[in-house]
Amino acid sequence: MAIFRLHLPILDEIKEKGLRPALRDKTDDIVTRVTAGLSIQDVRSMLRDDPPGRPNPRLKPHSEGFWLHMKPTYYHNLVDGIYPTFRLGWLSTFFFVVEIVTGVLLMVYYTPSPEFAFTNMLDILSNVPFGRLIRDIHRLGAELMVAIVMLHALRTFLTGSYKKPRQFTWATGIILLLVTWLLSFSGYLLPWDQLSLWAVTIGVSMVEAIPPEVVGRTVNLLFRGAPEFGANGLLRWYLLHVVALPLAGIVFVGVHYYKVVLHGHSLPPDAEEVGEDTARRVPTDSRTYFFPHIATRELFYVVALTALIVIGALFVHAPLEPHADPLVTPLHSTAPWYFLWLQGMLKLGDKVIFGLIVPGVLIGGLLVLPYVEVGPSRRYGSRRIGLTAGLGLVFTFGVLSYMGSPWFAVQTSPEQEAVAELLPQTHPGPLRLADWEGFTVGTYEASAYDQAPTETLRSVLDEFEGSIEGIKIDGRSDYQGVIVIEDWQTNLKKLTLRILWTDDVTGKPGEYSQTVYLHKDSNYGQGE
Amino acid sequence: MRWHIALGTLSLLILVAVFGYIAVGEQARMQSFTEAYDARQIETGASLFETHCRTCHGPQGKGIVGVAPAINAADLFNGERLAAVGFSGTLTDYLEGVISAGRPVPSAGTNYPQRMPTWAQAYGGPLRKDQIESLVVFIENWEDRALAEVGAAPSAPSGTPIGTDITVSLPEGNADQGAALAQGAQGGCSACHELAAVGPPWAAAGDTPGVFVRASDRINESDYTGNANTAQQYLIESIVQPNAFVVSGYEAGIMPQDYAQRLTAQQVADLIAYMESLP
Repeated sequence: MAIFRLHLPILDEIKEKGLRPALRDKTDDIVTRVTAGLSIQDVRSMLRDDPPGRPNPRLKPHSEGFWLHMKPTYYHNLVDGIYPTFRLGWLSTFFFVVEIVTGVLLMVYYTPSPEFAFTNMLDILSNVPFGRLIRDIHRLGAELMVAIVMLHALRTFLTGSYKKPRQFTWATGIILLLVTWLLSFSGYLLPWDQLSLWAVTIGVSMVEAIPPEVVGRTVNLLFRGAPEFGANGLLRWYLLHVVALPLAGIVFVGVHYYKVVLHGHSLPPDAEEVGEDTARRVPTDSRTYFFPHIATRELFYVVALTALIVIGALFVHAPLEPHADPLVTPLHSTAPWYFLWLQGMLKLGDKVIFGLIVPGVLIGGLLVLPYVEVGPSRRYGSRRIGLTAGLGLVFTFGVLSYMGSPWFAVQTSPEQEAVAELLPQTHPGPLRLADWEGFTVGTYEASAYDQAPTETLRSVLDEFEGSIEGIKIDGRSDYQGVIVIEDWQTNLKKLTLRILWTDDVTGKPGEYSQTVYLHKDSNYGQGE
Repeated sequence: MRWHIALGTLSLLILVAVFGYIAVGEQARMQSFTEAYDARQIETGASLFETHCRTCHGPQGKGIVGVAPAINAADLFNGERLAAVGFSGTLTDYLEGVISAGRPVPSAGTNYPQRMPTWAQAYGGPLRKDQIESLVVFIENWEDRALAEVGAAPSAPSGTPIGTDITVSLPEGNADQGAALAQGAQGGCSACHELAAVGPPWAAAGDTPGVFVRASDRINESDYTGNANTAQQYLIESIVQPNAFVVSGYEAGIMPQDYAQRLTAQQVADLIAYMESLP
């Protein structure tokens, strides 16, 4: 008597039918289970693009499986082309998945502590095979995802797809836009370099303006973890970035997808009668089924886009600035590009009005837009006011973003700006990228650039002279640029950039200078 | 659909090829980033040294007599100094430790009245760990040149020392030479009197006039304990007998006591000319 009996039904079947038929039936069974309803025969006929049988077996994975519940069984031919969706919603989801996968890989090498975070970045770049690639994809994917989600919202607005019955889909979409912004923004702080610290400091300083003062102070403290960003603040933003916001994203993507399947993709605005919504009543001859056409196409998109983003990451590298330093504010530090409009508005005036009330009203307005704007027609011709307002908003976004950039109304001294053109504080710049060997020791005047001994020096001095010529301050004249190059250590040179002038009133000389040390092997051209 | 399958397969092949391409170059890339980052740390260290260390250890780390020892020196790199203080770890450990935690006692047989302060944030100083590391690699980068200088003849004494008599008559002073002396390693005055306020600052600040004007006022003040009758004598006295009178708020014994033996009358005259030229 055995202690336990192992019963393998396959053995009985082999005994009954013979080896090959039994194995064939078993394989068929397994395929049917994995595909949630498609037998080998169904899969083969699908791949050959044979007409489906009746009832269509290719609908079973949608009704019986979990994952394909998220996908419509067929699309209206009119929404199957590039227009009107431009695939922007699908692309958003694709990049969300890319971010989750690369993000989890990066988490392996990351410690959310100011003591280790920056060193972790160096390790990822210097000691983790494919480390830089993963980081670059994560960064590139994040920027693209923000842009795509914003375009997706814009497209939905332009085609009027937010209108009844899709109001709630639109509202969840706006929430997802906010989640995307915050996801990208919260990731900024994690490398703990200068870019991190200052971009987030600028962003968080806005909440400080919330009235009354005690609320602003408390919220500010909650986000920073202490009066200054430090270990607590980093941990909070890390948890937001890797737990809270992705969870919110997954939940709202679920709701958003459910609503899309429930209401169907909205048809192009002029394809149906005003006030009608026929997305769910698709004539049999206008259907494109998910299996096999959409499925193979999406599979192709996934592979092709992955290849594209990997190739893109070969050329676009995530920046890494020097270690975060609360005592040194880099010249020209800005918020990320999608928040430049906020920074631009802050330059207009009051922090409370332009930093909180106006953006708050804007976002709130977007959220409730479909419940307020209830005009029945989705046609472009009947929505002239709405479309004009929408495009006006896009234009304003562009203008405000420009105003948020350092080129608009930033008060620094022109001498400092001139030196920063050669020696920027947020990226390597021409001086650091120049050929080190070309920096022959000596003192050179920018105006006599054509007499410098090396090609490197000639081009650097020429550029220096160009930026000095742009300086105009009343009461000062006779501007002159000088670069002094000293041999400082083995393979280390000290470069001093001096700008000299004469005060017109007192006749006294003035000077602004900045020093940089350059090592032969510092190789700033690697893109970080 | 066929096109999608064909293009998808092609994309997959391209993807694999790109991954292969990256994989082949990955070791070299990691190596090159490591080298580049080490070099950038030396750059960072150089500018930290100018801000924090140069005031006492002198330009190029050559040391300032009576203030702080040379660190751009052969004995640091050939193991003599580590042996002298009985340190058994590596030079990197020694530098990191000394910069981080300071030196509570001077090395035996040396005369440095000031103590090396603590620099690491962990010890109450201003610098982060990565900044200390940058300083260490910058200092270590002196090794080649410091060791190469061994055997070079020490500079010959430059004349008869001035001695401690404050009524000595001085030759004509040269302010530019005085400035070079004050800021260089030999005089080392600017470390404490210009860059840091270990001693009374020479330059005028706010209502306080420059050092030369102060000297002529001070000899007439009631609490003045020295023997000078003119501003020039007061300045000579401060250099050659630093403890004859110590300005209130500063400690006696901090100013090196050996300038009377180290400087010539010409050099003192240059220094005073330089002080007189200061605003």
